[in-house]
Amino acid sequence: MQSMATYILASFTSPMYIGTTAKALLFILPLIAAISVVYKATKVENMKTKNFVRESASLFCSIFVFILITAIVLLIFTWLVNQ
Amino acid sequence: MAKSSRDVNLPFLISVGLLSWFIPGGGYFLLKERKRAWIIFITISLLFLSGLYIGSIGVVDKVSIAGKPWVVSKLSWYTAQVIVSPAVMMIGSMTESGQYQVYGKPEEIGQIYTGIAGLLNFLCIINAVYLAYVGTERSED
Repeated sequence: MQSMATYILASFTSPMYIGTTAKALLFILPLIAAISVVYKATKVENMKTKNFVRESASLFCSIFVFILITAIVLLIFTWLVNQ
Repeated sequence: MAKSSRDVNLPFLISVGLLSWFIPGGGYFLLKERKRAWIIFITISLLFLSGLYIGSIGVVDKVSIAGKPWVVSKLSWYTAQVIVSPAVMMIGSMTESGQYQVYGKPEEIGQIYTGIAGLLNFLCIINAVYLAYVGTERSED
């Protein structure tokens, strides 16, 4: 038990290995989820589980879609500049 | 009509704000919004702990500010992180020795996660104080 607690605490003292790859962009997903959930927790008046999950999921999807559109626009812009 | 400062229950508003800062979502407990409080507490704590796990406690960087006050970006991140809870200042003093240096992607992602957790808690503090203000206004009507 003690060794497990030591292992958990020690894992917070050394960073994870994250390469500069496209996979690193996936770290944005938990961030968007947290932003959607906390923002909706402050705004939604009816805190019924179904309603709250639907509102949060809708915000998550809209943020994700807008980030995707921005990425595509930037990609096209970069491609045009490099032509 | 706007209320005069004497009508507002100032100690209650301050205690809601302070409790929200000490424990994310704590202000909502005072307002008897338990479900909201739990959701905010779990989400902000998980986001902050994920940031610490990804980048290590080295992402709470007070050292760079102490030596170089002109490093505005570092100061901004540290300020945002401290908004999660005053307990973050303890982590800041632990990393003061400089033995938990972190660079590259883990630092970036860790700082973003912990900083955003602080900014989300700031939103919750403001919202909880506002709800407390509106609540006292309603109860006095």
